Amino acid sequence: KMAAAGGLRRAGWRLWRSRAVVRCQHYPPLRALQASAALRRASDEHKKEPLTSSSQQHFDSPPAGHQPEQEPQGPGPSYTGQGGQESEDYESEEQLQHRILTAALEFVPEHGWTAEAIAEGAKTLGLSVAAAGLFHSDGSELILHFVSECNTKLSKLLEKEQKLVQLGEAEKKPIDEFLRDAVEARLRMLIPYIEKWPQALSVLLLPRNIPSSLNLLTSMIDDIWHYAGDQSTDFNWYTRRAVLTGIYNTTELVMMQDSSPGFEDTWRFLENRVADAMTMSNTASQVQSTGEAVVQGLMGAAVTVSNAETSRAVK
Amino acid sequence: VRLCRCRCRALFSRPAGALRARRGLAAGPGMHFGFQTVTEEERREKIYQVFETVAKKYDVMNDSMTLGIHRVWKDILVHKMNPCPGTLLLDVAGGTGDIAFRFINYVRSVRQRQLQRKLKHHQNLSWQEIFESYQKDKFNSLGDSQVVVCDINREMLKVGKQKAQHLGYSEGLSWVLGNAEELPFDDDKFDVYTIAFGIRNVTRIDLALQEAYRVLKPGGRFLCLEFSHVSNPLISRVYDLYSFQVIPVLGEVIAGDWKSYQYLVESIQQFPPQEELKAMIEDAGFLKVDYENLNFGIVAIHSGFKL
Repeated sequence: KMAAAGGLRRAGWRLWRSRAVVRCQHYPPLRALQASAALRRASDEHKKEPLTSSSQQHFDSPPAGHQPEQEPQGPGPSYTGQGGQESEDYESEEQLQHRILTAALEFVPEHGWTAEAIAEGAKTLGLSVAAAGLFHSDGSELILHFVSECNTKLSKLLEKEQKLVQLGEAEKKPIDEFLRDAVEARLRMLIPYIEKWPQALSVLLLPRNIPSSLNLLTSMIDDIWHYAGDQSTDFNWYTRRAVLTGIYNTTELVMMQDSSPGFEDTWRFLENRVADAMTMSNTASQVQSTGEAVVQGLMGAAVTVSNAETSRAVK
Repeated sequence: VRLCRCRCRALFSRPAGALRARRGLAAGPGMHFGFQTVTEEERREKIYQVFETVAKKYDVMNDSMTLGIHRVWKDILVHKMNPCPGTLLLDVAGGTGDIAFRFINYVRSVRQRQLQRKLKHHQNLSWQEIFESYQKDKFNSLGDSQVVVCDINREMLKVGKQKAQHLGYSEGLSWVLGNAEELPFDDDKFDVYTIAFGIRNVTRIDLALQEAYRVLKPGGRFLCLEFSHVSNPLISRVYDLYSFQVIPVLGEVIAGDWKSYQYLVESIQQFPPQEELKAMIEDAGFLKVDYENLNFGIVAIHSGFKL
């Protein structure tokens, strides 16, 4: 019975991973945006592939692991006539929004996670600043986009490491070192934006955004445990995720207030927490501590958010 | 007395359907002018005359008819636009300049905040540098934002210019005489195109929408504020009662012009509802078209992007 539940969970996890790919494949056929100036620009930039190869792509099966922002052509159907000028590669609105948000990220250190950063990003793509009206004025979509990008980068990193281990070119790390490195790698992605990150955290905690941000958080934790080789099929599955979520959240909060060079205080904190989690794992009090860790994580989050709010109000 | 009774009958009966079918010599298709049916040319002329007559009392009438709520509607429109400094706005049918002035105020305050933030970052400048930065930014209080007010009616523009002078708006504002169906501007020029309570009076709405698409830059935004369809039956009844019984009377009392305000109320009835207008905007080529109802649908803001 437990094995069946575990098998179901495995399958569910795999489905969970693939839903991102399925979603991307569904979008391009939805809206055929012909001959619109901004989107044609996308095809102009990526006109490296000759006409024949793109029409060939139409007949091949669509590529798996579709990355929207790198390949605006995507696996959509092509409407090429003979020497077709008109949009043989078009992008959906979603892909355009993706590109605008990616371009906006470089303006975040200066303008914060705001509509202004998005407007500047749109300007670099040759669009009017009014395109920032496509998104919410509090910058929610920008932050969620960034978090999702970071999670994707982390997944790729972990996958690469796993391949190296499988090929025998690297040694398999012990579990505590693996978790430490994964969390550290993920948190290092925040460093360029660390000044404005407290603002981002407070926006992510808005009721409107909680479903999406929670979703992203849990899928990232799932990823880490999967690559850590988590084979558990019992109650431990939930416990492990809750523990790692607690570790991640508390370390993130410590990082917000860390002023040591190279964030060494944060990494030391992380090391200690992971060590604690390891020693806890075999005791019966694990369940209780898990609850405490999660509660502490939430409390820390609430304190940091209220500090960020008051400091912002004072400014 | 008989005249009075005639008027009273108009007052208490719901003027549904065309009152008089007046077809001119020109063999144009029949268009609605309020509840009358007229040709396109006649409609343009009649609307021009309506606004010529009401121009001077336009703002007063707006306040009394909507009990001042129209100010809130216009504020919401500009807030939704959320313009940043450097935006080029085209306000069509913006005669008396309400949207234009709100835009300027908004951009000015955003710009102030931007400058304050910049100064905070530069905490250790020399006095010379601070002085120079003040000089530079004093002449740039709008951050290069500009608004062009375009209207087909000379009288409305005149009233608008007088208002601007009276309220002290000088920079970033231009006044252009033009027809929404045939704008005197180049392609791909403006960041935002707004038309507040004007599209109802345009004879060929599809042409106006196509022109809007033409003059907007890629990524530009189309915003339309207009009276629309109330779906709630109870509110609809009260609203209709108010529209047909109270507004023309106010028009007579305050502006001395019953017929213009009768036209106003009837034209609101004839205007397509939210979904239909949304479809028309999409037909013109706009994407991500959406609408927001204000006050249960008495007024709706439609928004679309040129992508």
